[in-house]
Amino acid sequence: MSEIRTLIVDDSSVMRKIVERSLRQAGLDTMIVYEAGSGTEGLDMLRAKQVDLILSDINMPSMDGLEFLRQLRAQNLAPGVPVVMITTESSEEHVKQAILAGAQGYIRKPFTADQVKERVLPLLQAV
Amino acid sequence: MERAMPVTLRASLQLVSDPKNLDSTVEEVFKMMLGIDCHRYPGPVEMEPESVTAVVGFGGLLSGACLFKSGSSTAIKIAAAMTGMEIAEVDDTVKDGIGEICNMLAGAWKGKVPDLAANCGLSIPAVITGRDYNLHVQAPEFKLLHCYRFDGGCFEVTIICDGLQ
Repeated sequence: MSEIRTLIVDDSSVMRKIVERSLRQAGLDTMIVYEAGSGTEGLDMLRAKQVDLILSDINMPSMDGLEFLRQLRAQNLAPGVPVVMITTESSEEHVKQAILAGAQGYIRKPFTADQVKERVLPLLQAV
Repeated sequence: MERAMPVTLRASLQLVSDPKNLDSTVEEVFKMMLGIDCHRYPGPVEMEPESVTAVVGFGGLLSGACLFKSGSSTAIKIAAAMTGMEIAEVDDTVKDGIGEICNMLAGAWKGKVPDLAANCGLSIPAVITGRDYNLHVQAPEFKLLHCYRFDGGCFEVTIICDGLQ
């Protein structure tokens, strides 16, 4: 697979590292990673950079992941780029909200690299 | 027209407070995120003078909190395992990592009971470090305080429920 430009949005720098490591273990070892510590920072980054994949936490202070996703779609930033939400919230209602806001995938924390692979690789192959 | 029954957790108190849910949650989070096997033991955890405590609040049908507490050296080992970095002291990475562990424990624990997963929100984690501090909740509805250990460290996880609808 060619070099994948990935944006990881999470207020926790530790989680951003874990997500990056899991993606590399899932086979995306030639990836370029951009990191954002909030939804606002993520939107700013998407105005400046092109990406192929976005992974975002939901439960973040100030702008949460769902609002980030709504803004992303409303401002037509990164059109056609798959967005996967990563969160501790696992109820059907939360998944529904994320899909309605425009997410293509959902990964529940805690997760394994195999689960990341299962959810992310089909989205990249479909683009 | 039939009216939907309001969701209540009071009838599921036994399921919500089942200690096995907490043990399987802790084992799952540590195995999946850190590759660490950890197991419950009778405790108590011998705390070092300096400790790290993370708190994630529950709101909704259940109000209360999930607490993670360990000595500084265990907290450093956990954060090092999460990041793959060498860490010498309790710094922002350790606080961030322990806050995330507590967040995952709280989320995975409530996910064990479907009505709880759907009707209980989580706060952003708060982390307290230092010595000579106590967290006290008056007359909780129920409280689970379990001690766990892994190769090289031990810690406590507490679920406090101070209100259940």
